[in-house]
Amino acid sequence: MSDLQHEIKQLIIDALGLEDMGPDDIGSDQTLFGEGLGLDSVDALELGLAIQKRFGVKIDADSKDTRKHFANVNSLAAFVSAQRAA
Amino acid sequence: MIEFNIDRWHAWAPGIDSPDTWSRWSAAPWQPPASPDLQPDVSFLPAMQRRRLSPLARMAFAVAWPLAEDHGPMPLVYASRHGETPRNYELLCELARGEELSPTQFSLSVHNAIIGLWSIMRGDTSEMSALSAEADGLEHALLEACALLDEGAPRVLLMITEGVQPEPYQPWIDDAPFPYALALVISPGRQWRLTLDSAAGATEPSTWPHALNLVRALLGDAGMPVHSCRGRHWHWHAAP
Repeated sequence: MSDLQHEIKQLIIDALGLEDMGPDDIGSDQTLFGEGLGLDSVDALELGLAIQKRFGVKIDADSKDTRKHFANVNSLAAFVSAQRAA
Repeated sequence: MIEFNIDRWHAWAPGIDSPDTWSRWSAAPWQPPASPDLQPDVSFLPAMQRRRLSPLARMAFAVAWPLAEDHGPMPLVYASRHGETPRNYELLCELARGEELSPTQFSLSVHNAIIGLWSIMRGDTSEMSALSAEADGLEHALLEACALLDEGAPRVLLMITEGVQPEPYQPWIDDAPFPYALALVISPGRQWRLTLDSAAGATEPSTWPHALNLVRALLGDAGMPVHSCRGRHWHWHAAP
């Protein structure tokens, strides 16, 4: 697990109040929403806000790609890395 | 005048959470200590559901859940004068600092958020209402509940709850001296009668919240309460 992936997992736990979990409990390729971790639409908004605040990246809520970026921790890490490099 | 039976009740306040502690409190009431460590037990809920519950919601769920487990789906009347003011105060502070609002805080700050969560987590689609009355929210909730009984509901669940208020509001609030919650299951019957007398007269605010005076009456440790709020005098009577 890269440092960025670890940081994103901790951010998910803190922002969404997953009090009983640690970063190792979230698989990097585990689906975050619906099946998998079981997060819902309110979590999606909360996590979007947390990612924007922490990493200073812009997220376009209307973009079709946003759903792909939020699929799992790997895709989120790739998205944040790409946005930072841009 | 309204008449009804109280089939079950369950209450919580800091450190007062069992039949034995309620008996002792009722016989000689004391002001519970303000301790954030004294929280109601909601471990019957999975962590993914528990995480959305505020301290106020945890109290409401802790008192009402066991009653709902015994009775199944039923209409609910929830009453709280101050509701989720801690969440609202947090949101106002975020706005004042020019920050983006938390979507979770925002969606759970409305007065009917707790009954929405209750409906989802219990899978109960019965009619549910959230009231914010004055210090006589208990009595207003009973009026609403009796209207539901009159329409044919076999029983109605009531939740009366007040939490800890944000510090800047505390000088203006005198009817929620400590966090507490009371759940009642009421059904048609004549065990209890509540009458409203609106004649002008001295309004003596009660020492303890109305819901907890009712607990003392239920346990036989106090006479029938007369609760007054802005010229509304509610007289409680129990059938002998």
